Amino acid sequence: MNVQTVTSERKELVTVTGKRKRLFKFKGTVLGPVLAFIAFLSLWQLIPLLFGIAPFILPKPTDVIQAALENWTLLSPAIQITLGEAIIGFLLSAIIGIFVSVLLASSRILEISIYPYAIILQTIPVVAIAPIIVIWFGSGFNSIVIISFIFGLFPIISNTLMGLNSVDKNMQELFTLYNASKWQSMWKLRIPAALPYITAGLKVSSTLTILGAITGEYIAGIGGGKGGLGYAITVAAVQLKTPYLFACGIASAIFGIVFYLLVSYLSNMLLKSWHESAMKVEK
Amino acid sequence: MEIQQNPVVAFNRVKKVYNTGTVALSEFDLTIHEGEFISFLGPSGCGKSTALRMVAGLGEATNGTVTVFEQKPKDVIRNSNDIAFVFQEANLLPWRTVYDNVVLPLELRGTDKKSQKETAERVLEMVGLKDHLKSYPRQLSGGMKMRVSIARALSAKPKLLLMDEPFAALDEITRQTLQLDLLNIWKKENTTILFVTHNVYEAVYLSTRIAVMSARPGRLTAMIDVDLPYPRERANSKFTEYVNIASQSLEDTMGRRELGT
Repeated sequence: MNVQTVTSERKELVTVTGKRKRLFKFKGTVLGPVLAFIAFLSLWQLIPLLFGIAPFILPKPTDVIQAALENWTLLSPAIQITLGEAIIGFLLSAIIGIFVSVLLASSRILEISIYPYAIILQTIPVVAIAPIIVIWFGSGFNSIVIISFIFGLFPIISNTLMGLNSVDKNMQELFTLYNASKWQSMWKLRIPAALPYITAGLKVSSTLTILGAITGEYIAGIGGGKGGLGYAITVAAVQLKTPYLFACGIASAIFGIVFYLLVSYLSNMLLKSWHESAMKVEK
Repeated sequence: MEIQQNPVVAFNRVKKVYNTGTVALSEFDLTIHEGEFISFLGPSGCGKSTALRMVAGLGEATNGTVTVFEQKPKDVIRNSNDIAFVFQEANLLPWRTVYDNVVLPLELRGTDKKSQKETAERVLEMVGLKDHLKSYPRQLSGGMKMRVSIARALSAKPKLLLMDEPFAALDEITRQTLQLDLLNIWKKENTTILFVTHNVYEAVYLSTRIAVMSARPGRLTAMIDVDLPYPRERANSKFTEYVNIASQSLEDTMGRRELGT
């Protein structure tokens, strides 16, 4: 009897600490960042007010929101254009990157002879070769997509290649023992095993392709069409429309985060159905 | 023992030297006949795994020859499903279900779906896992994973089953159950089994013959015929006697090595 009372008391103790823990967790994961965000916004709002800083030097958050709303007819199509360029650039770098990696991984000789050039391609600042791209593909959409594609390509190639080459030796031997052909090992072993690496590459590349699209818009202009975010930013900068400039910057940041989350979500879906173990490892 | 005298595996003065200069095997001679259950017993570094891998064509002899069904191991692998290998780890593909893992060898050889299904059901029944067809490897215990691994090896109906310390990572109770199950499979399927172990009890419990090996260089130092009826009783005095004999020959190989250095 005595023992039982002791254990029941203990149980209560445990639930109390459990509640506290949950509360603490809420404080730590939700409340903390929200408070920090509010504090940051208030400070940002206060500083220009207190020191009398002009909106074209440092606009207040309310100025930025106002500018965004006023220029919504410009901002909204700009986002759509950049989105289109980034998505096409991303898809191109994903498809071509994975295809090239599979090709390189299927032949040691190919990998040794071509991979160094892929690295060189990466180390050349894209900004430096962008004018050439503009000369070849004309100003506007095509060049921007290609610049975005180049930005996103390398992380996919390097990750995919690493994944394809880091298959467990025993598994590889198992396939050898069952007389699997090169393509059977590729499809049934190496690509599925590389999937967590590939999706990691896709995530990195998703943000880089947006960066690429905006950089591309800086360099390649609009070529007769409507401009994207990058173009809007250059125009706003020239006209000293600083609040709108801030709005564009924040819009591209939000847009980048959303795109990243979307790609993360899709790759988790892919891993869940295809590579259940990886889901667990990744958590 | 109704052991027929057809050689399944023949080691003929095999020597294996690695690039590092390590002599893994030296003057290794052994003939294994159909229906035998042979254990390679020895300390680590005695080349027992090296010998087993050569039988599977996963390594070439530096000198001498290894033949399986009087052919080169690699040719046997290329042309048939006669050799199957069970690794120390279960080595299951984590993205495939138990069923899909088991049919992998058949899938790779292009067997039709219907016979894949029949085979999978048969072998999973044999290892007692027919209720786990749709489970993923991560949902299984270590012992169950090893059962799937054995089922996969059996799915191709091998004539020769090579096992590289398959039960070494399992707990004692699971190991004993799997040992008994393996003996039943061996009887039912009428395969020849080559089994690498460093566990004396396991070797005596399972084998018709034990090949005792010494380390650096790996040599065959004793052959013990275990003349006990199956299933064997671990508490039996005859069993203990064989354990003592095997332990003694192991100790001899170790002692000789110590005196030599």
